[in-house]
Amino acid sequence: MNWARRQALLLVGIITGAVATLFITQTMFGGSVEKMTSTASWQNILLVNGLVGACILLFVVELRRGAIRVLLTVIVSLLLGFLVTFIFNLDEASRFERGEFRVQVVSEAEPTDNDEVDLRYNRARGGEFNKPNVVEPVNEVAWTFAGTSGDVVSLLAYAKNRRSPVDMLVELRDEAGAALAAATSATELQVDETFDDLVSSKDAVIEGYTLPADGVYTLYARPEDISAATTLSEAMNQSRLAFEALLLGPIERVNRWGVWIQDAITLILLGLSFAIVFRAQQFSLGAEGQLYFGALVSGIIALNSPHVPSVILIPFIILAASTAGFMYGLIPGALKAYLGANELVSTLMLNVIATRFFEMVLNFQLKPPTAGYVASDKFTANAVLPVIVEKTQVTIAVFILVVVVFLAWLLIRRTPLGYEIRIIGSNLRFADYGGVNSRRTIMLVMAISGIVAGLAGMHLANGIHRQLILNISFALAFEGVVVALLARLNVLVVPFTGLLYAYLRAGAQFMERDANVSFEVVRMIQAIIILLITAEALVSFFQARQKRADIDEAGHAVESLDEKPK
Amino acid sequence: MFENVIDGIFSAVFLAAILRVTTPILLPSLGALISEKAGVLNIGLEGMMLSAAFTGVVVSAYSQDWFGAEAGTSIGPWLGLLFGVCVSLLMSFVLALFHLDLKGDLFLSGIALNIFGSSATVAIMFELTGDRGNTSTLASLQMPFIQLPEFINDIPLVGGFLFGVFDNQSVMTWLAFIAVFVVAFFLYRMPIGMHLRAVGENPEAAASVGINVKRIRYMALLISGFFAGLGGIHMSMGYLQLFQRDMTNGRGFIALVTPSLGGGTPIGTMVASSIFGFFDALGIRMGSLEIPSQLPQSIPYFATVLALVIYALQRRISQRVSEMRTASGASFDAQFWQAIQRISILHMLLMMFAVIGVVTSGAILAAPNGFGGEEAVLPGLAIGAASIALFVMGLPFVSDIFRIQKRWRESAAVTIVSLGAYLAIFLSLFASLPIALGIGLLASAAVWFMIGGRALADGK
Repeated sequence: MNWARRQALLLVGIITGAVATLFITQTMFGGSVEKMTSTASWQNILLVNGLVGACILLFVVELRRGAIRVLLTVIVSLLLGFLVTFIFNLDEASRFERGEFRVQVVSEAEPTDNDEVDLRYNRARGGEFNKPNVVEPVNEVAWTFAGTSGDVVSLLAYAKNRRSPVDMLVELRDEAGAALAAATSATELQVDETFDDLVSSKDAVIEGYTLPADGVYTLYARPEDISAATTLSEAMNQSRLAFEALLLGPIERVNRWGVWIQDAITLILLGLSFAIVFRAQQFSLGAEGQLYFGALVSGIIALNSPHVPSVILIPFIILAASTAGFMYGLIPGALKAYLGANELVSTLMLNVIATRFFEMVLNFQLKPPTAGYVASDKFTANAVLPVIVEKTQVTIAVFILVVVVFLAWLLIRRTPLGYEIRIIGSNLRFADYGGVNSRRTIMLVMAISGIVAGLAGMHLANGIHRQLILNISFALAFEGVVVALLARLNVLVVPFTGLLYAYLRAGAQFMERDANVSFEVVRMIQAIIILLITAEALVSFFQARQKRADIDEAGHAVESLDEKPK
Repeated sequence: MFENVIDGIFSAVFLAAILRVTTPILLPSLGALISEKAGVLNIGLEGMMLSAAFTGVVVSAYSQDWFGAEAGTSIGPWLGLLFGVCVSLLMSFVLALFHLDLKGDLFLSGIALNIFGSSATVAIMFELTGDRGNTSTLASLQMPFIQLPEFINDIPLVGGFLFGVFDNQSVMTWLAFIAVFVVAFFLYRMPIGMHLRAVGENPEAAASVGINVKRIRYMALLISGFFAGLGGIHMSMGYLQLFQRDMTNGRGFIALVTPSLGGGTPIGTMVASSIFGFFDALGIRMGSLEIPSQLPQSIPYFATVLALVIYALQRRISQRVSEMRTASGASFDAQFWQAIQRISILHMLLMMFAVIGVVTSGAILAAPNGFGGEEAVLPGLAIGAASIALFVMGLPFVSDIFRIQKRWRESAAVTIVSLGAYLAIFLSLFASLPIALGIGLLASAAVWFMIGGRALADGK
């Protein structure tokens, strides 16, 4: 790639990164500088947002045209997710058929003294339409009232209160059952002034009808039929609401932003772990087990050293967690390298074993005997990673992460071991012929990826939860796979894809909270992303068939095989 | 207490439980076997099982609305089965499409389907029931249970036992074990089964004789989806009567290993699945003791890892032996080396037992008052120490089979003593300890002699 193109690319990257940083910051503080400077630890927020921008810069510079493809994949998957949400929300309009209602016959005329009718003038009576979980729900009412010829009556059918969404229809019928008048809505004037009881224009009013004769009339009321257009527009509204929460939710407020960033840190660590191990074409899924061991070890240390100063304790915990991850990664690594045991199956099994072991230790050793729930004590303050943004759990893990990304890059691109990893990943046989000790390398790469996963466990335990709880990972491991794949196994791109993915996950939480659309929709989107990514690209990434050096990271690998580092 | 567990293991109730918990492993295992034979291992079994399980529950619940309570109850389960299997087939079609036509990675597409199955079921469940954990609010149905005719109970001696084991099993359990033989017939007695195996062994060669590789692989993936669907249906409409979030709980992954453990044959797969079923049932049974339930729960996973290792080792040994056969030509003593191989398998199995012994002793020691409290500490330690000792003694013979030849007396001692010890533990239920030990040792010596000890001793 020539100099001019490289510069242009860098420029594009810097601009995109800067725009993103500004946009996030602007949305968080509603565009007011005063609000920003009055927020606690705003400098650190700016710093983290700057790092987000840097991740975008790296993404653009590293993936080049591939970046567009990744974004396209994500956009297409989001559109499909929108479609799913839309379909799920097609029954949203049915709420107009449910709810508590009232009917009333308003008249200034004298009521007759007929006791056998259901309604009297100016007395409201009500019920609930289509109540859920009822054997025979009410879906219409026909209530009689007695009237005298010449009485001017108004028939009202309305929702009991604002929370009841029912959309009413009202009809006046004579004794023979023939409809005399009908209405499906109320004017604004009627709602605001004429009748105090009405709550919205969805209520139905027949105003000022003069009864033609003496006798018993029927007020007939039911929910208005839902038209197809209403169904669609309601589903659309609801889905739009959901996706607004998904796409803008995480940067609306500082605490929501914190949820995004803290989740991103865990995901990026897991993504790095997978990117490293997939790079050697080892389909190890052991990150979850390694995460549990990392969390367990750091948790045990944290619980047992209440008086050690933070400055000593935290580095020690980091070291211990990475060692735990390393050791637990070494097991499947050795099994694969020296015995040829399938790493996919062995890591999955070891994950379950680690999870059960974690549960057992937590349940029988760490849980305070009096506690009614399975969780350890809260860690003392000296064992918790120091928070850098108040009101959130964004901790110094941000800086640890920067260091880890740098080290991972150094490992893959600038060390002999990294060279061996890449060469094994592109062609195992070639590596063997070329004198690479592939067994040792395979074992080491699985163990090294365990280090990073162990750190992710440490971050979950000492950064986010600040105690050990059951299900500490919530099956994050598979999410890490997506992060690594979206980044095309490039450790410098993983931070961006981790942020992107954590953004979707955080957005999904707010979507569930704000719009009542299930969090799992986002996991479905994730599955679609994987399918699309593998379908269009994995041929070239995992089998190194596509050797064009200028398009992406795999090309990168092939390109740089010539220059063996010293 | 310990006796209770062992007594329980030999009861009809326990065997019936094994059959019941083996079914959801066996069915997807058959699917995995067929897909593996065609060279396209179906990683997405778990997701397919979940989707089928969920669809079955929903369809069977709603069929009572559609067809009225009476007709719905009778055809509901079958309709659920039909729709569940169709969904599973659809997912395996997607997998095949993405792998075979769109050239996606099989492994990752499979993972995507697993994620999809796990999330879509929960999302739709939330839409339908407003609950995220299970579908207990839906009145779903179960597949029929097959009652044995009474006369079996009246058969002398074995009648009661047989009746206890086989009576009131789900129709899916019967289906699963019958399917083993159908699959065997399909793979080994039908031309298309032969084509399928040929494609798996060498796709280029198969293509060169005019077999449509892609079509065969499509078929294999669809069949595996079919079996995964049946397995899922059993989970939610036989094993339990509702759908729970992620209820398959890794069975789809266990099913990926059983075919290789079973030597790649349907019967072997059935045996391997039953071993998992045994550990599963044992875990449930031991759950009634006051030991951490996590230990018995993780036994099948330990067993899988160990089995993987044994399988890998065994493959290497076979390779080594066949290399020797090529190298030494006519002077190669096939019988002798087969004996050695068999003895090495015995060694490995004993190592496996030793590891389980270590885990068990861990369980005994970790439980504050499980297995009979204070007095259990000593036996616990003894079991642990003995297991470790047997493990260490067995190690040299597993890592290098030539040691079996060179130091055959030691090898014989290790195998006979450890096998004898395990046999003695079981026999001690029926007789006093010295007698049990004597019989155990004698029996294990006989076993050793029969499987290859004679050839070994002669050959030396």
